[in-house]
Amino acid sequence: MDRRRFIQRAGAAAAGSLVFPYILPTGRLFASSGGGGVAQHVVFVLFAGGVRQQESILQRYLADSQNDPNEGNVMYNMFDGAPPVEKIVYGTGLGGISPIPSILGQSLASQGTVFREMRAASTGHYGGLNSLLQGTTAATQGLQQKPINPTLFEYLRRHMGVAASKTWFVGNSIGGGVPLLNHSIHPNYGARYGANFFAPNVTFGPLGDQYLGDAKVYHPEDQLPPVYEMQQFLNNSFERVVNTATGIGNTPEEKQDIKAFMVEMFNKTANGTIAHPPVNDSGDLSTVGYACEVLKWFRPTLTVVNLSGVDGCHSSFTGYLGALHRADHAVGHLWNFIQTQVPEMTGNTTIIAVPECGRNGEPNAILDQNDWVSFDHSDANALRVFGMMAGAGVEAGLMVGNEDNPIGLVTDLVPTVAELLGFKQDVLGAGLIAPGSMSLFDRI
Amino acid sequence: MPAIASIRPMCTALLLSALGLLATGCRKERIYEVNEVQLRAPSANKDKLKTSEEYVAILHANLFQTALSANEVYQLAQCIESIGDKELAREVIISNFMNKPGVIIPTDEVMRADIDVFTRATYARFLVRTPSEAELTWFRNYITADPYVTPELIYFSFALSDEYLFY
Repeated sequence: MDRRRFIQRAGAAAAGSLVFPYILPTGRLFASSGGGGVAQHVVFVLFAGGVRQQESILQRYLADSQNDPNEGNVMYNMFDGAPPVEKIVYGTGLGGISPIPSILGQSLASQGTVFREMRAASTGHYGGLNSLLQGTTAATQGLQQKPINPTLFEYLRRHMGVAASKTWFVGNSIGGGVPLLNHSIHPNYGARYGANFFAPNVTFGPLGDQYLGDAKVYHPEDQLPPVYEMQQFLNNSFERVVNTATGIGNTPEEKQDIKAFMVEMFNKTANGTIAHPPVNDSGDLSTVGYACEVLKWFRPTLTVVNLSGVDGCHSSFTGYLGALHRADHAVGHLWNFIQTQVPEMTGNTTIIAVPECGRNGEPNAILDQNDWVSFDHSDANALRVFGMMAGAGVEAGLMVGNEDNPIGLVTDLVPTVAELLGFKQDVLGAGLIAPGSMSLFDRI
Repeated sequence: MPAIASIRPMCTALLLSALGLLATGCRKERIYEVNEVQLRAPSANKDKLKTSEEYVAILHANLFQTALSANEVYQLAQCIESIGDKELAREVIISNFMNKPGVIIPTDEVMRADIDVFTRATYARFLVRTPSEAELTWFRNYITADPYVTPELIYFSFALSDEYLFY
């Protein structure tokens, strides 16, 4: 091909790509990523395993739980407020006496909008996580059952045409049904619109190292195409009686990319160079380090990170305070990493943190090492949660609602993220979120 | 007497022919029919999805001809759980198995010496059935056409196939 013909063909191809954007299943035209939302990326932290308002946004420390007057803010990356001055147990070192220094120079609350008093849909973890990701209650669902209604991931991928490798769910474990949440079983959505998922502490932990870390590398052009061709022939020959989807639609190229990422993670884990937070002494903090690596490698449109260390409050209030402090450290690190290490996401990313449920107002009978009472999550206080968001499209320094005037539901997060990324009308039009749910932006 | 003697054979003949008529006159015409059978692919009737535990246990047995311990099965299933794209998870698990010593795979020479025998054995090993003539022909043509297709890649594709996920 001579230069003239090359230029002609290249020009025609470029013009074609501008004139003929592809058509989505919904019939809407779509051009590239972004899609008309106010943000190009959303990082949604499912925070962090049942959080009481008293020790988080209300900054009461020991005052509302242990009959002790000490108050203070242990979440100073997220909220403004002075930390406790006495009985410090949540930091590092022997007895946790050294608080972890703040990562952010300015709290996320001052950078964004805080819904001080929202309502959870469930006092349980799996129901709560479902309500955050489905936008509906999950009363009929149990563990080991995938969501019935579509998740955020599926709405995003179906209606915005986002690739699987741009949609990530990073879980802190494979327990509690967490891996089930990357897609629903809804017939109009389902696996083909699901998110990629890693539970890094397993995938890249000792088990992953033993069973996944020594993968033979096949040539992507000479060896893998024949494998996929033969697989395709075998699949075509198979009369499938049960329609069970087994993949989430990663293309061969995306699979190659994810495998390369896994190799990189095993190497970085071995070398100790994962982007962990400055303090990395818990499962949640380790998970966030890998979430940062996912952000840097894939620059996802939607990343959901699940933290759950706070749930130790069932038997240890001391451990709960430490986990709360670390979850705040994790969120601060995530935001700081985006601002400083992922230039493609700086300035166009929104971060959101909402607990899946609260915790009880009344303690259980378990005393921890400091003789402090512990808290489960089943009463009315466990339906009280906060919501915090900052970044692209979010007004700074805004506080919405209070204890006497609750504003916002956890089921609002699906339309909220949808509004940020530009598919709110698709979510509302599907009619599958809980009645009364709306974008938090519409509640302001 | 001679007259009687000459009549006796005639009576016998008449009796025999009457018996013959009786016997043949009542015979129904035979009608040969074929039972209605729904034709299905040889892979049909596999409608139960293997669990992750079953998948890795059977995969290991197919590749190494030895069984995994219960603990190894449990741990491998946890690794699969930790990856959202199960297709991808299986690819990584297979790739790891292929990198370990002890995988029992025929050599390329053995495969190409008699492709049909190899194909039948591979179907039996992974899919627990005999291939159809169409399947035999497809693999014969495919392997013959591409000198770089190895038994390992073929095993890989069988272990990834949808049919292998069901029993």
